[in-house]
Amino acid sequence: MDFELTDEQQLIRDAVREFAEAEVTPIATEIDRDHRFPYELLPKLAEMNLMGMPYPEKEGGAGADYVSYVIAVEEVSRACASTGIILSAHTSLATWPIFKFGTEAQKDQYLHDMTSGRRLGAFALTEPAAGTDAAAGTATATLHADGYALNGSKMFITNAPYADVYIVFAKTDPERGARGMSAFILEKDTPGFSVGEAEHKLGIRASSTPPVYFSDCRVPKEALLGGEGDGFKIAMQTLDGGRIGVSAQALGIAQAALDASVAYAKERIQFGKPIATLQAIQWMIADMATEIDAARLLVYRAASCVDNGRPYSTEGAMAKLFASETATRVAGKAIQIHGGYGYTESYPVERNYRDAKITELYEGTSEVQRMVIARSTLR
Amino acid sequence: MRIVVTYKWTCDPEEATVGADGTVDWSRAKAGISTYDPVAIELARRLADAAGAELIGLTAGGKGAGTPIATKAALSRGLDQVVIIEDESLQEAGRSELAAVLAAAVRRIGDVDLVITGDSSVDVAAKMVPTVLAGELGWPAVAEVTAVTGQAGALRVERAIPGGVQVLEISGPAVLAASADAAVPHVPGMKELLAAGKKPVEQLELTALDVPARSAVMTVTGRARPERKARKGQLIDTTDPAAAAAELVTALRASGAL
Repeated sequence: MDFELTDEQQLIRDAVREFAEAEVTPIATEIDRDHRFPYELLPKLAEMNLMGMPYPEKEGGAGADYVSYVIAVEEVSRACASTGIILSAHTSLATWPIFKFGTEAQKDQYLHDMTSGRRLGAFALTEPAAGTDAAAGTATATLHADGYALNGSKMFITNAPYADVYIVFAKTDPERGARGMSAFILEKDTPGFSVGEAEHKLGIRASSTPPVYFSDCRVPKEALLGGEGDGFKIAMQTLDGGRIGVSAQALGIAQAALDASVAYAKERIQFGKPIATLQAIQWMIADMATEIDAARLLVYRAASCVDNGRPYSTEGAMAKLFASETATRVAGKAIQIHGGYGYTESYPVERNYRDAKITELYEGTSEVQRMVIARSTLR
Repeated sequence: MRIVVTYKWTCDPEEATVGADGTVDWSRAKAGISTYDPVAIELARRLADAAGAELIGLTAGGKGAGTPIATKAALSRGLDQVVIIEDESLQEAGRSELAAVLAAAVRRIGDVDLVITGDSSVDVAAKMVPTVLAGELGWPAVAEVTAVTGQAGALRVERAIPGGVQVLEISGPAVLAASADAAVPHVPGMKELLAAGKKPVEQLELTALDVPARSAVMTVTGRARPERKARKGQLIDTTDPAAAAAELVTALRASGAL
């Protein structure tokens, strides 16, 4: 068993860290404070070939392996968790279904533009009354002579309204429940499609997550992704990969909290010496470092399964469950180490703490991850 | 036109620790391309692109100089290919010796119109290699270069001088040492990093190069760090800034610093 990253993976870590520290870190506090989507970062992410990392070069991607991709998400999230999820949602949730289930015509139309970062993607599954129970969605797609008419609403749609391409899930046969759900590719300017007011969130405030609405929104038949009734399968398989991206985001948040804590503990003088010399602090640092290392092994293992063509649903669920809960615990300890200062906006750990919580919620709550893991373990 | 740009794979001294006896512990220092060499590569890449030139990276050093990660890191910065001389005997080589090896390699590569180096190496910082290398080749050497344009045999070079810029025209091959801020190196993109491993790499044996015999052997026989003066540990209460400033001035005068 080899725990070493390849040369390319190490160089990718160094390069993305250098990029993130130069371009993302300097604006992270401001965009969080102002709830501002960092639109100016998109061309820079594209120039670094980060918008289509795990896709083949012939599809416009960087041709990197999935481990390299999660390393990139981790490093970007270490600088700014909002930017991390913008990148991860575009890559794992919006681009992947087209890459995996799209026809050649759909790939020609969208894939190259998305992997190269010219067009931003979003994934519209969650509804006001259908979160964890995604199959309960009530948005419909009614077949007409010239295509489908979408009606209904979705909420918490990451990257809306800035996204150019949306993967939308709607029932073509509501009577059949999950098996009546289909997936569609929707372009942002389609008549009948609109975006609501942005949510004001606890964390990842620079990531835009408004509701979106469909009112007799007409898409051509060619917009159907896969076959009618394939939507739920597409959504679940997409989320299997998306979870690995979120686990990498959680890892980045946790690492940022640890890095800040180590720096602070060495500088903060109490009782005439740095608090890093106090055992109470050392034990917290030790626990944080150990949990992060364990989370990293799970995250990289899940990504490695993708690279090796092995099943990764359970592995991804374990990685997300552990990494997200680790991020919340570690960020909490980071505030504890910083004391009162950690509770203020003077230090980044309060942002880490707020950002960490979402990783336990989206792309499957911790409870859903446990369901996936239990189902696999008890089989 | 053929341009050679030299680079060094070394450890960041900021991550090294120095023991009480002056010994330097590099074991926890991360290896990478010497800080100013990416500046030289960026400057050379721009010239190569403008002139349609071939850009060859060149490095010489002890164990580790030619490891795959070092080579890929250099190639990802924009080099077309690299030439490596890795030999244990170069581990502790002096600047003159290293420059002589680089000069022999430049001769071996052949038809080289220009050599560009970094300002200095981050670990030794002797600033000698470009000058000695030029001397070995019999070429002019220019330091503090901030810009270079033109073609083989007709180069226009700008170098920083105190209070301004000097413009030079060079009609033949030369060695240019890029100033530390001559260019802002770009961070390699993912495609550049992944393509690096597919570019050509040539390993040259030190023994196969025509390196002149050394007239003298220079060996580092000891290291020491300057003695630290004992700190006074005097703390000034800054609650009242004006009073604190007055107290600071008084203390500095009392110590003879003012």
